Amino acid sequence: MLDALNVSRMLIAATETSGGKGGHHFYSFEGLMVYTGLTLAIVIGVLSLARNGITPRYFTNWFTQRLEQLYLFIENLCVGIVGSHGRHYVPLVCSIWLIIFFANLVGLFFPYTPSMDLSFNLALAFIAVGYVQWEGMRANGVGGHFIHFSGPKLGVALIPISIMIFMIEIISEVMKNVSLSVRLYGNIFGGHEATDAMNALGAKMISLGNGQYLGVPFGAFLLPIKLLTCLVQALVFCLLFCVYLSLVTHHDEDHGSDGDHAPAHA
Amino acid sequence: MAGIGLGLGIVGVAIALGMIGMAAMQGMARQPEAIGKLQTAMLIAMAFVELVFLLTAFVLAGTFTQIR
Repeated sequence: MLDALNVSRMLIAATETSGGKGGHHFYSFEGLMVYTGLTLAIVIGVLSLARNGITPRYFTNWFTQRLEQLYLFIENLCVGIVGSHGRHYVPLVCSIWLIIFFANLVGLFFPYTPSMDLSFNLALAFIAVGYVQWEGMRANGVGGHFIHFSGPKLGVALIPISIMIFMIEIISEVMKNVSLSVRLYGNIFGGHEATDAMNALGAKMISLGNGQYLGVPFGAFLLPIKLLTCLVQALVFCLLFCVYLSLVTHHDEDHGSDGDHAPAHA
Repeated sequence: MAGIGLGLGIVGVAIALGMIGMAAMQGMARQPEAIGKLQTAMLIAMAFVELVFLLTAFVLAGTFTQIR
């Protein structure tokens, strides 16, 4: 019991190197590593608990049944968006879902979480977008993948237009990294800041006399919606990953119709 | 001044999110069998709208404070 208390105190102290200007804490690299390790330990623990229940006939373990539902959900997502060959991408998408979801869950109980840090999210986005490029090159060839950026075939007279489309597509491809990472970072960090602000609101709610106050943790009322945010952000990351994958691998059968995929190029 | 700008940004994003939710709700009420597809499309659209505000809040706000 005392050990658990000490460990949690160490976890909290690991991130807060210095109270910076404006009341914001600056978090250390070691703290990020500690919390990433904690997240990975939780993920691996849950997966090993689930692995115990795998039997040839049916799954008896509670964890195994729930994880099977998660697997079916992710498989449904991949097959629904990418197409019939989407089952190939289930392992990566499922790992990314697990890591983001449990990293967000850690943020509900601890003052810090890996997904509250832009560097962790940017690394995840690099993995996702880099894998999309790799899959695009595997599906269309290296040349075909880059020609695919220049939009539909417009003819010789409109080559300047094609070059412009190519440059815009390259920019949007780079911005996919930024959009994936900033979305996750903004949602988790913003939720944390909102909880802090609500707690500060109730910090001096009940006066005990002689200058002491009993705080009311209003931030706790935000927990349900933060839990929903955890789930939705993990889902949205995987959803967009699948959409990007479907954009680069979908052109095996119909190469002419590029126009109807435009909304996902933001 | 930057606070007013951020507030205006929130107004636009809130209206856009509400419109997406409204349209998705209407579609789901009309065609309950298409709920799965509609939810996926709704979440994608919401993600892009949300990103606009997040970019404004975290990227542009930082730029403003640097300029000032």
